[in-house]
Amino acid sequence: MNKEFLHLKHDWWLPAFMLFGGALELLMIGWATSRPITNLPLMIWDMDKTPASRNLVISIENTGTFELVEPATSMDMIKNQMDRGKINAAVIIPQGFAGEISASAGNPILQVILNGAESTPAREAQRAIEGVVWALGEKITIEKLGVNAEQFEGFDFSLRVWFNEALNEAYFTTPAELALMLEFTILIFAALTFSREREFGTLEQLLVMPFTSLEIIIGKSIPVILVGLFDFSIMLGVVHFAFHVPVRGSLPLIFGLAFIYTLVELGKGMAISVFSRSQHQSFLLVLMVGMVDFMFTGYAAPVESMPQIIQTLAKFIPAHHWLEILRGIILKGSTIMDILPNVLWLVILGTIIGFFSLRYIRKALD
Amino acid sequence: MSIRHLWAVVRKEIQHILRDRGTFILVLVTPTVVLLLMTYALAVDIEHVSIALLDYDQSPMSRQFIQRITAGDDLDLYTAAGSMEEIEDLLVKGKIKAALIIDPDFSADLLSMRGLALQVVIDGTEPETGGFAVDHIGWRAEIFANQILSSQLRASGLAVESLQPIDLRIRAWYNPSLVPQVDLVPGLLSVVLGFPAFSVALTLAREHEHRTMEQLLATPITRIELLLGKIIPYILAGLLNVLVIPFFAMAWFNVPFHGSFLVFLLLSVIFLFAELSMGMVIGVFMRSQSAALALSFLVVMFPGFFLTGIFFPIASLPELARMESLFLPGTQYAIITRGVFLTGIGLDVLWPYAIMLIFLGLVFTGTAALFFRKKLA
Repeated sequence: MNKEFLHLKHDWWLPAFMLFGGALELLMIGWATSRPITNLPLMIWDMDKTPASRNLVISIENTGTFELVEPATSMDMIKNQMDRGKINAAVIIPQGFAGEISASAGNPILQVILNGAESTPAREAQRAIEGVVWALGEKITIEKLGVNAEQFEGFDFSLRVWFNEALNEAYFTTPAELALMLEFTILIFAALTFSREREFGTLEQLLVMPFTSLEIIIGKSIPVILVGLFDFSIMLGVVHFAFHVPVRGSLPLIFGLAFIYTLVELGKGMAISVFSRSQHQSFLLVLMVGMVDFMFTGYAAPVESMPQIIQTLAKFIPAHHWLEILRGIILKGSTIMDILPNVLWLVILGTIIGFFSLRYIRKALD
Repeated sequence: MSIRHLWAVVRKEIQHILRDRGTFILVLVTPTVVLLLMTYALAVDIEHVSIALLDYDQSPMSRQFIQRITAGDDLDLYTAAGSMEEIEDLLVKGKIKAALIIDPDFSADLLSMRGLALQVVIDGTEPETGGFAVDHIGWRAEIFANQILSSQLRASGLAVESLQPIDLRIRAWYNPSLVPQVDLVPGLLSVVLGFPAFSVALTLAREHEHRTMEQLLATPITRIELLLGKIIPYILAGLLNVLVIPFFAMAWFNVPFHGSFLVFLLLSVIFLFAELSMGMVIGVFMRSQSAALALSFLVVMFPGFFLTGIFFPIASLPELARMESLFLPGTQYAIITRGVFLTGIGLDVLWPYAIMLIFLGLVFTGTAALFFRKKLA
């Protein structure tokens, strides 16, 4: 174990990355992902040029979703900019739009073109434009019917959001990123432990020394666990202080479960490490294993929307339970009873993974 | 620079890769395999969101409304709750993502045209899912209210076709149903083709770590030959994926390919050169493979994911990040791949991005060569 630390001292870059790399990355990712979609370039072709059409443009601008680019004067101009990916959407207000609105049997048409080559912003643009047009449509109808507008409240229902009142994106993204970052940190450093020795041919030297294989494994594990938990504390600090995410549950519970999760990933990482012939290979394996886990965690898309078979498989992925646990404790203030199923799954999977990795590593070492 | 020297380094590196069979296979298959996995993980259409209901109105109209809400695949009724406490409990346990509360005045308000007496509570820990539930409940409520009101108005003699007089015609070009994987697969290419950059960084750091760099430099091979010789095998490995991935994309994920394959191939070589040169810079500076790996994650992997406009529009990024994104080869390449796959544009439009990639590649290679010399002198 002392040797592991000594190794770290030789190359100061590595300990620096080990201790602070995760937090730095989390800061960067959190900063990039925890903001709403705004400033989407939008092109408007206003053929009508009336107060009514200008009002519509202002309402669209007021949503804050868009940044208006130079107005279009032809379809070619829209096509040209869309092809180049310079705009995410275009709105075409045909001639006579205002007339159709005020006519009693009018049929005002509004054309919207979305850039499907970027589907996420396209959907956001669609949502914003639909909102504006619906509100406008409601107003027009009420005016036409001569109903008292004051009396009519519109069809907006009241919305309440729990656990994240302001719908702050950071609440959603950063705890999940924290969970994933812990996984990657542990996996990578655990995976490099034995493969480094093997690459340098020093594994044999280590094995002829009067240590049992269990002692070697424990000695190699302790630094990884310490670094992992240290990283986790800093990253939790980043989530709380830099992104203002409240930690509503119990800290000892978070750390207790983080420790268990660390052991699970450590087992996986060391098994990869013993299996690999070189550091390069163990890194590529970690990348694959990490990506499989990532797919099942529900970070990017809710697991319940995935096919049934994937939902069943997700139950057997520790990272999936870890993500649920962390989100639950941090944002909902869940107690151990609230997240008991996830905790039990994590412990059971951890025991199985730990048992088999230990057996595999010992066999490989002996 | 002599071709003979360059070839010697390339051959040595290829021999080295081939000797370690496991690593060789991994270098070749990682980009394609990760692309497949990530597409599955990320291109999920949200559906089957569990919701709970609390119906205080208990009228025929509210029951009819509930039926409409849960008629599709988008929202699943988890339970009809009896109280707010029950809903709170379900939200904490994560059993439901949203709850719809129908106020006692629901049918009365609707019939007298006062508005909608509805409340929606969502789990803010997953705003995407919660927002989805809100949108879909709102959309169904709007249609429901429209129907009720127009029949009301018709009965009272006022002629209205619909309460939504504006005919909104939305079309999406290049990807008409806005299927997420259609733009995700071309976008992800710029991430997964960056993986060989890790290998370049690792293999250079490896020579430092094993103290074999000095031996290499004692040979008549120049430094630039050495550096280029190191990245050529990985450019080739990347190219193999460039050849395979479009077929997967088209056959497996139904992504169209409208552009020219030759243009795609040419620009991919240029991208690989630029991206792998980034790995080279890291490999020159780092003395151990683990440090090279950690730095690659920090400067290649994560910016490649989040700042290249694949998941998150560059326009919405803060000023500083927008500047940084310009200097990432992945940003240029994501525009190129989307253009070639989806829009079908050619070199006449894409040449500025190609120039930028060549420029970045030269800057990175130059930096690597410069510091390589200083460090070893």
